[in-house]
Amino acid sequence: MALTTAPGRTARTGPTGPRRTRRGAGRARLGEGLAGYVFLSPWLIGLMGVTAIPMLLSLWLSFTDYDILTPLSEVRWVGLANYERMFTGDPSYWHAVRVTLTFALVAVPLKLAAALGVALLLNRTWRGVGLFRGLFYLPSLLGGSVALAIVWVNMFNRDGAFNSFLALFGIEGLPWVSDPDWALETLMVLAIWQFGAPMVIFLAGLKQIPTELYEAAAVDGAGAWRRFRAVTLPMLSPVIFFNLVLETIHGFQGFTAAFVLSNGTGGPVDSTLMYTLKLYISGFTDLEMGYASAMAWVFLLAIALITAVFFGTGRFWVHYSDGDDR
Amino acid sequence: MHPATSPTAGVPAGRDHRTPRTRPRFLRGLTAVALAVPLALGAAACGGDEAADDGPVKLSVFWWGGDARAKLTEDALALYTKKHPEVTFEKTWQANQGYFDKLATLTAGGNPPDLFQIDDNYLAEYAGRSTTLDLTSFTDSGKLDVSKFPKSLLQYGVVDGKLAGVAAGENTQGLVYNKTLLQKHGLPEPTTGMTWEQHIAWAEQVAKKTKVPGTQDPSADYKAFWVWLRQQGKDLYDGKELGFTADDVTKWFDLWKGARDRGATPTPDVIHEGNATDITKQLVVTGKAATSWVWANQMPDLKKNTKDELGVVAYPGDPSAQWARASMYWSVFKGSKHRDVAVDVINFLNNDPEAVALLGTDRGLPSNLDLRAKVSETATDPAMKQSIQVESELAQKFGESPQVPIKGHSKVKSELTKAAENAQYGRATPAQAAEQFMAACKSAIG
Repeated sequence: MALTTAPGRTARTGPTGPRRTRRGAGRARLGEGLAGYVFLSPWLIGLMGVTAIPMLLSLWLSFTDYDILTPLSEVRWVGLANYERMFTGDPSYWHAVRVTLTFALVAVPLKLAAALGVALLLNRTWRGVGLFRGLFYLPSLLGGSVALAIVWVNMFNRDGAFNSFLALFGIEGLPWVSDPDWALETLMVLAIWQFGAPMVIFLAGLKQIPTELYEAAAVDGAGAWRRFRAVTLPMLSPVIFFNLVLETIHGFQGFTAAFVLSNGTGGPVDSTLMYTLKLYISGFTDLEMGYASAMAWVFLLAIALITAVFFGTGRFWVHYSDGDDR
Repeated sequence: MHPATSPTAGVPAGRDHRTPRTRPRFLRGLTAVALAVPLALGAAACGGDEAADDGPVKLSVFWWGGDARAKLTEDALALYTKKHPEVTFEKTWQANQGYFDKLATLTAGGNPPDLFQIDDNYLAEYAGRSTTLDLTSFTDSGKLDVSKFPKSLLQYGVVDGKLAGVAAGENTQGLVYNKTLLQKHGLPEPTTGMTWEQHIAWAEQVAKKTKVPGTQDPSADYKAFWVWLRQQGKDLYDGKELGFTADDVTKWFDLWKGARDRGATPTPDVIHEGNATDITKQLVVTGKAATSWVWANQMPDLKKNTKDELGVVAYPGDPSAQWARASMYWSVFKGSKHRDVAVDVINFLNNDPEAVALLGTDRGLPSNLDLRAKVSETATDPAMKQSIQVESELAQKFGESPQVPIKGHSKVKSELTKAAENAQYGRATPAQAAEQFMAACKSAIG
């Protein structure tokens, strides 16, 4: 928790009031600290009430048989049983892990590539570029909305807009969302299509690259591809890193679209059973909140681990331009 | 660690005056408050034994449904307030999707509604955890009048010997078919009592003549499976156990594999579409099949989504396998401070002629048989009339109601869907899918 302690600050302000006695300074420090907490209190209460305490509670619940209907005072401690069941006794858990990994491994890189590609195109000054930037960003603004997922499902139904479009070229479409071989792929396309947020960040990053670098490279005879590889990519690597971490976490948490597409079941035949959806079903449909809590904690650790791996390997490919080689 | 014993109890009292630092104590106090609030709410939920029914009462009521049901229910409750001015209602309603999530969350937060709507998916779950009030003493004392109820309908609210819910209406399984389509091609209509084999043969014939598959493949549909099981002398549940074996499931999946192979049903992706809970996607109204397997009281809703004439008969096989099912129940929260009032409201909604007339058949046929007869006489909506007529006809052939589905039922349902779809998409043979289903069920009801 980021609770900055008062002493550091009073030490700095100390010299301005040289006539203060020790006792007076102590009291002032106390008062200052208290005032700080009072100002912080809305946030502190929020953090405690809706984040920290529920999280700790869920950690405790993950070792119990809590079913959400039983009062907390009556839940039974079951030790590691929930974790054991997750790892050894529930094949659909591993299925959900596989689905989620597949989804993240495919959708995240493609989404980033699309975002970067479009950002490069839009990083020029031509008439109406602002409009295009807005249009490409729009899908992300609608982000996790249920409405968008519903539109998507209808577009990709067997008699949806997409198949009608294919029919114009004499191609017979597939039942994209109700075919277990294609439902997850359709979700991936939806996720990739929402590349606007990383695109905007890429655009900002591209604007930061000094034009002298490109000019110098051009003078040295570097072609477009070479300039992209030798200037753009390294200069952009901190932004790429940022987007990669953010989008990976995002990808793992994909829920809304899968929920809407499958009516909350993860179907057809579990093909869209994302991790978070499995967690939701366990907690709310099967009323196994203890088990769901255990799943949530494993999820948290897994994401922390993946992020740590990114930060560990980032050292080798992320270049910060401010001189000191980190 | 138990939250009630954690933060404050662990602090030795002697230490406090020795270290006059405010921060840890402040934080500790905050933690204690944050922990105590939900606990206090939880405790309040348990301590509602003394009924304080004098003075004004505000009763919270929660149900799922659409706008139409909301309007009817609000009118009926307003009528109650008119007759009992001291009682007012805090009404909350929402769509089916997410209803049980919210009910569970409210219950967990120690703030469940006094009176709530529930169905047979969850009745045993809630009753088994003592969330619902046992209404037996109220029916014994006559405060809750169930004398005009069909006996099997009342029985279908009993869980482990306790009356956990009272039917808000009655319905039964119904096979809805497209009359217009059949007439146009001069095909016979299905009849109550035809065998499963006859039904599939009929559907094959329909598919050949009309190019519309004759029936929706209901292998993923627990209610069709259930009726079929009862016709084989089995049941979905037997006490706390499954009432069937892997062999039964294999036979069931094989029956429908045969039907699919003969072209009597649509392709798996269309079947999947029809399995969606949404009534507007039922294949009989989207025109992708001539028959849908639904509840008989859904007829008026289905009719709204198609211009074609619809008909309804019993599921194939002996109709005595079907029963008077509570379409949904009213249950009272065990910790409610106003139990007596809540029970009286249930009594009112089921037995007051004006209230029942207002509510009509929105939650199924009225449970009170005398009032049901009255409602069916005065019904004006032709689809409603038809569904009442069919159900009344079937009611004479109904058998005993089974026990209310056990805890874990919602999972058994979703596992059946998964296994059946595995077979439909050809990813498993019927026997393999049946094995998977049995294994998943055993862990679900474990």
